[in-house]
Amino acid sequence: MDWNLLALSFTAVFISELGDKSQLAAIVLGGTSKSPKAVFLGTATALLLASFLGVLVGEGTAQILPERVVKAVAAIGFGLLAVRLLWPGESTAD
Amino acid sequence: MSISSASPVPAPEAPGAASESSPKLVEGRFRRVFVSTFITIFLAELGDKTQVTTLLMSAQAESPWVVFLGAGTALVATSLLGVLLGRWLARRLQPKILDTASGTILLGITLWLLWDIAHL
Repeated sequence: MDWNLLALSFTAVFISELGDKSQLAAIVLGGTSKSPKAVFLGTATALLLASFLGVLVGEGTAQILPERVVKAVAAIGFGLLAVRLLWPGESTAD
Repeated sequence: MSISSASPVPAPEAPGAASESSPKLVEGRFRRVFVSTFITIFLAELGDKTQVTTLLMSAQAESPWVVFLGAGTALVATSLLGVLLGRWLARRLQPKILDTASGTILLGITLWLLWDIAHL
């Protein structure tokens, strides 16, 4: 077990993730949701799968899922979450 | 498929039993929140995980699993820190302020993603 390689990869990813979209989303969703555990599990699993896929498939992910489309759908998703918080009118925030 | 109702709301067993904390409703909400969080974050992060890949390249991948263990723990740690910070804020701010601030930040993330798309 190469401990300094482990420490290196942990620190590199940890620092680059601080303040990243996903952590901001985790803070905001964690704070406003009635099921913060679900927010944590959702965020952690998404990050692990996204990076695992990124590592396994490498640039291939761009061919299968063109980044523009993927990010556009993500933007819609975040937009929906925002609208639900800013104008909770019909359904209460989960 | 609208994000907020990804799965059909489970019908309460008896009309009277549909209180907010009935297990079926809580479980249904847990699943909805998990699915909506997972989808949005997964799609937002899919293209971004370059640093893990570059790390692996630089490590010449003689021990990729150590790198991935380190990176994976870091990702879980930042998510946990994020949710804990969110909970801490939720106890300090009135719900109205928290929701408005959170909604604005989520709009900011949406713009951040659109900015990424524009610069792809």
